[in-house]
Parts: sequence; C-alpha cells; structure tokens
Amino acid sequence: MARRLAGFLVLLLVVSICEAAFLFQPISDSHRSAALELFTPDHGSFKSLEETYEALRTFQILGIEKKPDLTATACRSISETVGSSSSTAKDLFYALKANSIAECKIDKKASKGIISRLNAAVSGASSLLDFYYSVGGLVLIKDQSSEADVHLADAEGVFRSVKAFSQSDGRWRYSSNNPESSAFAAGIALETLAGIVSLASSEIDQSLISTIKNDIIKLFDSIEKYDDGALYFDDKLVDGHEYQGPLSTTSSVLRGLTAFAAVTAENLNLPGDKMLGLAKFFLGICVPGDAKDFFNQIDSLACLESNRVSIPLILSFPSTVPSLTRKDSLKVGVSTVLGSEVPSLTVKLVGAFSSGSKDASLVESQELNFDKASGLHILNGLPKSIDVGSYTFVFEVVLHEPEHEEVYFMGSQTKVPISVTGLIKVENSEIAVLDSDLGSIESQKKLDLAGKNAISLSANHLQKLRLSFQLTTPHGRSFKPHQAFLKLRHESKVEHIFVVGNSGKQFEIVLNFLGLVEKFFYLSGKYDMELTIGDAAMENSLLVAIGHIELDLPEAPEKAPRPPPQPVDPYSRYGPKAEITHIFRSPEKRPPQELSLAFLGLTILPLLGFLIGLLRLGVNLKNFPTKPVPATFAVLFHVGIGAVLLLYVFFWVKLDLFQTLKLLGFLGVFLVFVGHRILSHLAAASAKLKSA
Amino acid sequence: MGKLWLICIASISILLPFLCNAFSPETPTDRRVLVLLDDFAIMSSHSLYFNALKSRGFDLEFKLADDPKIALQRYGQYLYDALILFCPSVERFGGSIDVAAIVNFVDSGHDLIVAADVNASDLIREVGTECGVDFDEDPSAMVIDHIGYAVSGTEGDHTLIASDDFIKSDVILGGKKIEAPILFRGIGHAVSPANSLVLKVLSASPSAYSANPKSKLSTPPPLTGSAISLVSIVQARNNARLLITGSLSMFSNRFFRSGVQKARSQTKHEKSGNEQFLTEISKWIFHERGHLKAVNVKHHRVGETDEPALYRINDELEYAVEIYEWSGTSWEPYVANDVQLQFYMMSPYVLKTLSSDKKGLYSTSFKVPDVYGVFQFKVEHQKLGYTSLSLSKQIPVRPYRHNEYERFIPAAYPYYGAAFSMMAGFFIFSFAHLYSK
Repeated sequence: MARRLAGFLVLLLVVSICEAAFLFQPISDSHRSAALELFTPDHGSFKSLEETYEALRTFQILGIEKKPDLTATACRSISETVGSSSSTAKDLFYALKANSIAECKIDKKASKGIISRLNAAVSGASSLLDFYYSVGGLVLIKDQSSEADVHLADAEGVFRSVKAFSQSDGRWRYSSNNPESSAFAAGIALETLAGIVSLASSEIDQSLISTIKNDIIKLFDSIEKYDDGALYFDDKLVDGHEYQGPLSTTSSVLRGLTAFAAVTAENLNLPGDKMLGLAKFFLGICVPGDAKDFFNQIDSLACLESNRVSIPLILSFPSTVPSLTRKDSLKVGVSTVLGSEVPSLTVKLVGAFSSGSKDASLVESQELNFDKASGLHILNGLPKSIDVGSYTFVFEVVLHEPEHEEVYFMGSQTKVPISVTGLIKVENSEIAVLDSDLGSIESQKKLDLAGKNAISLSANHLQKLRLSFQLTTPHGRSFKPHQAFLKLRHESKVEHIFVVGNSGKQFEIVLNFLGLVEKFFYLSGKYDMELTIGDAAMENSLLVAIGHIELDLPEAPEKAPRPPPQPVDPYSRYGPKAEITHIFRSPEKRPPQELSLAFLGLTILPLLGFLIGLLRLGVNLKNFPTKPVPATFAVLFHVGIGAVLLLYVFFWVKLDLFQTLKLLGFLGVFLVFVGHRILSHLAAASAKLKSA
Repeated sequence: MGKLWLICIASISILLPFLCNAFSPETPTDRRVLVLLDDFAIMSSHSLYFNALKSRGFDLEFKLADDPKIALQRYGQYLYDALILFCPSVERFGGSIDVAAIVNFVDSGHDLIVAADVNASDLIREVGTECGVDFDEDPSAMVIDHIGYAVSGTEGDHTLIASDDFIKSDVILGGKKIEAPILFRGIGHAVSPANSLVLKVLSASPSAYSANPKSKLSTPPPLTGSAISLVSIVQARNNARLLITGSLSMFSNRFFRSGVQKARSQTKHEKSGNEQFLTEISKWIFHERGHLKAVNVKHHRVGETDEPALYRINDELEYAVEIYEWSGTSWEPYVANDVQLQFYMMSPYVLKTLSSDKKGLYSTSFKVPDVYGVFQFKVEHQKLGYTSLSLSKQIPVRPYRHNEYERFIPAAYPYYGAAFSMMAGFFIFSFAHLYSK
C-alpha cells in the first residue's frame, strides 16, 4: 500500500512538473542548454573520471560540440589513471569509458598492462561490482583497439559465477554475502553478462542465455506503472547507500537490457509497450536539475533510441490550443525520444470526443497531411463539428513499411486533450431596474460589454435589478462560460458575488433586493458593479466595470449581522507616526522690571521717613556707656546685631537655611551674652538714675 | 575505540546547544534546514531552488515526510533552524512531527516554508491554518484566471497563472524590480483580515477565482479576485518568518527556466520571474534581509557624556542608538528615515524622528518635559518587512530641587527692599532706643 502510495506521489509530482500529463515532448534545446549549465567543470576539470565520462557522453548524445579543453584535460587524467599501477578496476573502467568518447591515445604498453590486470581482477572478483568494472574494462579495451587481443579464457565459468548472484524474482544481489537484491544490480549484472558474452572466445551455452532471458522477463514483471502509462523500476527503500531512486534504477536496467540485447542473437520477446512506457518515464521527468539524473535520463533515452528490442516513437504537439477564430491547424510531430527522424508514416485522426462525455466520436477518421518542410503532420482546419471547448483527440500512427513495425513501436492509439478556443460573441446585454410587484421596468439601459460603461442606477429595497446578455460561439451555438460573475462592491469594500445563470443562449440574473437586504448588511449607498465572463475556451474573456447603483436600503435592526472586517492596507499599518512635542507650562506673567524697581524705591521711603523723624526728634547717643567695659559690650552687641542682619543678607544671596541657622546659632549665643551684659548695665544705670 | 566514542559524544554534547538555535543576532550563521518531501524526485526537479539555498551556505537535509526517523528536536534542543515542507500530499508526518510540533518549532523562533498544491492534504491545510491562512476548502479547486493566464501552447485550462501583483516592499522582494510575471499553478488561499501578521506577497488579479476547473459553478466561489493570495508571508511576534504558498510547482526547475508571456500582453519574457522572486523571498525568510538589531543605546545631557541616573525636568538631553541590518554575512548599517523615539509615561510625551548619519547611528536631542515621574525611552520601529525593534529603557525624571529655582526675581525686589529697609531701620532703632536721652 505504502509502495503504491509512493508511486502515486511520484505521479503527482510528474504531473505537476511536466505540463500536460499525457503529452510527452522529445528532447529539445532546453535540454541542451541545461546540459551546458549542469556539466560545468570546476577549474577546467571534473571531480572524477566518472563525471567526466557522464559529461562527455551527454554532450555526445545531445550533439553538443565538445569544448576542446574539456577533451584535453580529460585525456590528461585518463592517461594518468591508465598509466598508474595503483588505479583500481573502477578507475580504469571509467577512464576507458571516458576514453571511448574522448578518443585519446593510450600507449600500447599501458594497455597491455591493463589487460592483464583486468584479467586478474576478473578471476579474483567476488562481488558483482568487481565483475562489472573488470569485465566492462576489458570490453572497452576490445572496442577501442582492434589490435589488442582481448578475450576471457573461461568465459562460461565467469558467466556462471555472475549468474550465481541472481534471485528468483529477476533481481540481483551485489555479492553472495549480501541478502539484499535490487533491480539496480540486475541492470549492472546484465551489462556485465553482455560484456562476458562479447569477450567469450567460444560460444556461450544457449541454455545459459535463455535463463537470463527468463530473468529479464521476470524482472519486467515487477515493473511499476503510473496512470499516464509511464513505467519504471524501483527498489525497496533500504537504509543502505545502495538505494538509487527510480531514475537510476530504471536507467541501469535499461542500459543492461540494451547491452544484453545487442550481444544475443535471440529476440527477447519484450512487448514494445514496455519500452514505450520506459520512454514515457524518462521524458516525463522533463529536465532534471542534477547532473547525475540528467546523464541517466539522456543515456537511457539514447539506449531506447538504439536498442534492438523496439524503438519507441513519440507524438509531439507544438500546440494543443488551436483557435477557431484564427483558423489554426493542428500539427502533430512524430519522432524518436531524442527527437530524430523517423521512417515514413501516416498519422490518422481516428476520433474526437467532447471531454467528460462518452458519446460517439464527433469526427470521421481522417489522415493528416505530411508537410515535408517542417516535418509535421498537419490537420488543415478543424472539422466542422468541433466547436470551442475541450476535446480528446485520438491519433493513430501507421508505418508505411511493414519491416519497420518490428523495429519501431508507437502504441495503438494516442489520446490527446485538445482545447479549442475562439471569440465569443456577447450580445443584447442590458441592465434594468424593475418594480417588484408589477415587474414593470423602471429604467433600462443597454450595455456595451466590450467597451467602457458608466451606468448609474438607483433602486430601493422594493425593486429588483436585472442584468442579461447572450453568448454565442463562432459556430452560432450557445456558450456557457465557467466564470460568469456579477460583483457588487459597496463603498466600504464589502463585496457580494452572484453567479449569472443561463437558459439557452440567454444569461440573466435578477437581484431582488428585498431578499438581499440582510445579505447586504443593510448597507445603503453606492455599489460598484463589475461583470466577469471568462472561460478557458473564450479568447475574449472580460472583466468590465458596468457602473454603479445607488441602493436605498432600510435601517438595520438591532440584531442585524455586522459586515465582516475588511483587510487593512499593509502599507498604512506601518510607517512613521506623527511627531509629538511636549507643550511646556508657560512661565508666570511678571510685571516689567522698571515697575518692580519703582516699587523697590517706594519701599525705601519709609526708612527715609523714619530717619528724618529720628533726626527731628533729636535722637542722640548720650546714654552710650562711657566706661570702657560696658562700651565694649555695647559695641559688640551692635556688631552682633549687624552680623545677624548681614547673615540674612548672605542667606538671601547665597547661603542655604542650614548654613544660616548654624551661623545664627553661634551669633545668637554671642548676642544673648553681650546683650545681657549691656542691657543689664543700661538697666542698672537707669535704676541708679531713678533712685538718685 | 571506546575513548574515541567518548570524545565524540562529549564534543557533540558540548556543541549541540550552539549548533541549532533559531536565528539570533548573536549567532546569525550556521543554519541547518530540514526539507520534508513527498518524494525524492523533488530534489532533482526542484534542484535550482535548493542549489540557490545551498550556495548561500544553508545545510539542507532532505527527508521523506513520512520517514519514521524524522524529528525536529532531540533532548529539548532543536536540530534545525528552519523547516521546508515540500510535501503537499502527506497525510501524516513520520517520527515525532505533527502540527503541534511544527507550531512549537515556529513559536521558538524558527522559520518555515510551506508549499501546498492541488489536492493538498488536510494536514498541510491545518499547518496553513495555524500559520494564519485558509486554503480553499474544495480539494480540487485551483486558481483560475481567464484574463491573467500565462500563454502556453499545450495548456488550455488557464490554471497556469502569470501574476505580477507583488507587495511593494524592497526588503521582502529585494531592490531589483521583478520584471517577468510569476508562474503559478495551484490553490489559492485567503488571509484573515483580523490577522495583522500575515502579508500577501503575491496576489491574484481581479479576474481570478478559485474553483474546480472541471465542474460547472452553481454557487459563487469562496475566493475571488485580488482577495486571493498566491504567496503569503508571516512574520511572527518572535520574528520567526513563514512563507505559505499554494503551489509547489512554482519552485520547480521547469517554472524557473520556463519563458512566460502573459495573455493579452505582447512582451514575452525569456525567463519567468519565479527564480528571482522565490530566491529573494527566501533571503527574507532566512533573515538575510530585514533583520535588525539595535546596540549601543546611549542617552545623556547635552554637553555631558555619562549617562545620568535620572533627569530633571526641562533638561536638554541627547539620545543615540545604533541599528544594523543582517545581510547574510555581516551586520550592515541600517539606513532609514523613520526611526522614532518616544519619551513615554502612560502615553508618549515626546515623539521624535531620529536623524541618521547613514552609518547606522540614529540620534536626536530634546528637552525633558516639565512633568516628573518615571519615563521610558521607547524605540518601537515597525516597518513592512523588517523585524520589529522594540527598545525601552526606564528613566526617572525629578522636579526642581528647592535651590534650583530662580533666586533673584526682579518682581520680588519690592519685598526684598521692604525686608532690608526694615532690617536697616531696626538696626538704627536699636541705637536710638538704647542710647537716646
């Protein structure tokens, strides 16, 4: 189940990656440009000879002119590997493989050394990969130099020991002590066996070959399938590094199969649709993004193109969206998977069905004309019975020469989805406001849906709005588009969408506002109207603003639903806020300085009056003590008072309360002392005066 | 051998906490991304996108979504910094991952890219809902646009959309204008108007609608017009960034390489805008753009350099902060002219735009208001596409001390004069009273 699910997922993916699911395009220029992008050597050379080979092989198949420096650097590393005695069978194998394309000169002595080393490796091999690299290396040497005498002495023995890895289900193991079997290994084994057969000095026993044939047929029984007919091999997902993925696995099997089919005279009896299914698989992945996958795809397609089992042919379509209005003709190309020429053949349109219905074919069987210049088969003008819409066309390919039927395989019939488009006539469009009870027309206006409209209507909740139009196909039939919406948008951006229904050609929608007040959230005001008519087959799909309607709806009752919140514009949500500056308390109002000074002067006047008064009273200092001690105390007392007053002045000017009080404390004590002395002296003096 | 193991385990346990934290201004590099796929074939079919990420230094780990061994965290530590869900049809994640685990992953500040597709599973829809977007509920619905479709020779159902209705934000989409429209095929989603964190990056055109292209419409589709979002982003409050789209194929090599011609337009673009659009937006998602940090917040009285413990009302002060933006490799000065400072107590008393020296330093000066209390310096910088900066620093403001008031007020001179003339009078009177005969 999980496996099937996985397969389904891959299918989904393939569908999503490649445009139309059931259409396969042969390799094109997009592959060529992708190849140049993917196989870019860093600093002039590839990381390994394997990558070098893959790049060279891909360029060779795609017919991309190799850059000379690529070959030169490849040759250098090939000759290094070949010359070195420490290189393993794997290194030698890939060096020789790369050399089969780069065609560098390998000196004879080195090649003799390799032959003996590879021969030793064959006899010492214990795992499938050992056999694969050593036998593969020998085959490559044999192909590259005609003089070298390369053959396996005990070919049949080697054959049997490789055969020992095979499993009953057609899969193979990598070595005898590894129980995991895989289809990937099967591909490698087949390639190895093909190599052994070609290296054998004597005929290999036919019974051995036919057991391998059976193995191949069993292996193909385990092939997996997508809905679109693509076939592929996949191994169980195991944790080990051996899991390769469906692309590598399928590619490996195909390579093995091609190699094996090439060396055996027998027919492998594989049905051609299997090969076509494999071709669909490789074409279905479009352009892989990985160099290894890319190589596997291209190399496998090359195998499919040149194999002896059957060569699949692919129908390709430059366009499957013909337009009736432009009188497009339907063009079909037939090519091999790599897009090369095919023998002469005829493409027939055997049926056309309206998609979704299983009715009888809409067209008679007819042959397509072959246009030599473009190499395409052309259906001139679509049949009369085909109107706009989507159809499934069924094509059949007939090869002209019967012997080609053995070599090529096309599949019996190919179904292709075709959508026919055209200009749809929009007529008799009008909009009207109707009185509800009588149905009498209040105001009716014609619309020009192709141009601009600025209709303004007004209605209240007792009235109705009617919009109607007609759609006709180029063949004069009625047309029902997928999208026919009338949109009313209130000023507050609340939108209401209505589907415009039809009866025959006539499309009509009647909006009864009485039933819609709740839906409209009782929002009166201006509604913009917009009509959208669109369909895949309609070339002139339209989105027109009709104008606006002033709706006068009743007041909303208390429990009426509120309109949904409308999205906030993201641009206005952010952005700087308005600056705020603090408004400071304004300072208190003060009188002008002159006024203050004037009043200052006034405050001094009483003092002056006091002084004048004293003088007028004839104040004197006759009581001032005459004896030195009381006189000293008197002086000190007044100095003290003066000091306290001065301290007050200082308090005003600079001192704070604490400093002032401290000083005042000292001065106070001093004043009390001297004050007591002088005052008691004065009191004693005046008492003496009274008693006297 | 045993010793080696010990060393290994010890070093791993020491390193582990440093390896896989969410994006943080302290360790902004070293990012590991888990990519969950429906099928490994996506690795090759979407390789251009993955390679673009790898070339920017991301360490991608590809896993099947139903692999029983996948986990986002181990021993309480997250193993990855970001998650890419390229598995639209997965019904159940393998291992310990479920929707709650993904939500927690995002809640702890990690980034997420979700690509749904037609027939997206309920699980992926649920992830979308958690992210704040609602995919069209009809499982076979697609976004259809009969006016804004991409012209194609082999497709007639107008589900391949060429959209060029981008959000206008250089930080999200890069400074270079995206010339070519974006190819999109998949499902649309709606952004909840109540959610202010979700942004529509790529919207459908007004003529688009979301419906099953194969069946007739009898009721109005739930999503129509430019309310349909094709690609949305979310920046969570913890600065985790999310990308949600209804199309997996828009990331594919085929769409990256494909040319595009919008219907009714004569210009044919050699290459669709997908590569530029998705690469630029991935830079934003992975915090290579628009991630700000603020350092060196300084404030002092004008003419001083030390930061006081408190200010007096009516002080003149200077405030400065340095703001940098992460560029993927280094912190670059952030240049903007709308960074604002608030002097805040219950409500802003002063709100001022900081002036920039274009090297990352933002500064301003202002007078402390004549209101005392505990204020805050607040920089709340929220800008479309940028991480939100929220700095606040508390600072008390005191009133004048008793000796800081004006001491010699001319208007009071008459009072002073009266007092001093009184004192002088008293001094003279003391002589007159004591010694006069």
